[in-house]
Amino acid sequence: MERHTGSPARYRFEDRFLFLVLPLMFLNLLMAVVGFHTFHLQPAGSLAILCSILMASPWIAFIVIYGLYLAEEKDEFQRTILVQSLLWGIGATLATTTIWGTLEKFNLVPPMDVNSVVFLFVIPFTIAERVLRWRYR
Amino acid sequence: MKNRLKVLRAERNWSQADLAARLEVSRQSVNAIETGKFDPSLPLAFKLARLFAIPIEAIFLDEL
Repeated sequence: MERHTGSPARYRFEDRFLFLVLPLMFLNLLMAVVGFHTFHLQPAGSLAILCSILMASPWIAFIVIYGLYLAEEKDEFQRTILVQSLLWGIGATLATTTIWGTLEKFNLVPPMDVNSVVFLFVIPFTIAERVLRWRYR
Repeated sequence: MKNRLKVLRAERNWSQADLAARLEVSRQSVNAIETGKFDPSLPLAFKLARLFAIPIEAIFLDEL
């Protein structure tokens, strides 16, 4: 992962990403491939709840480590870039889901998979962060 | 906001990275302040003033 700022908070964020989020993603991938695809497991009851929590955990962890980074980053300029990127991500997510929702009411589009909302946020957020960093380079 | 950061830095023969290290911020931050794209907070402005041993208004120029 590219190291941008050299701030201790950024390094901690990257370490948390590497040692917490990535292993959780790997665990999810393993569960999906081995459990659901190879062995066709269909968990029910509390096992299904556990699987659901596990599947959501990388994204929850990602949000938590970004929150920690925002709280720990002492460089106000880096914080500004992050906040602006988050606003772009939130704005794009709200705009897209609102438009999609109204289209859904008229049966013009299929119902949105709620799981895809996280990508609707992450993609514009990442693009905004890159563009802002490029602007201030 | 316009400022004299680049001049003050050049007088001391400091690179942007040198100044960033002294301020404990990223080089990108120094560049953004220097080019007027980002206005620092009061604490950072005071830190700059202390570092250069001059008043804040000698670094940042009131454009009114």
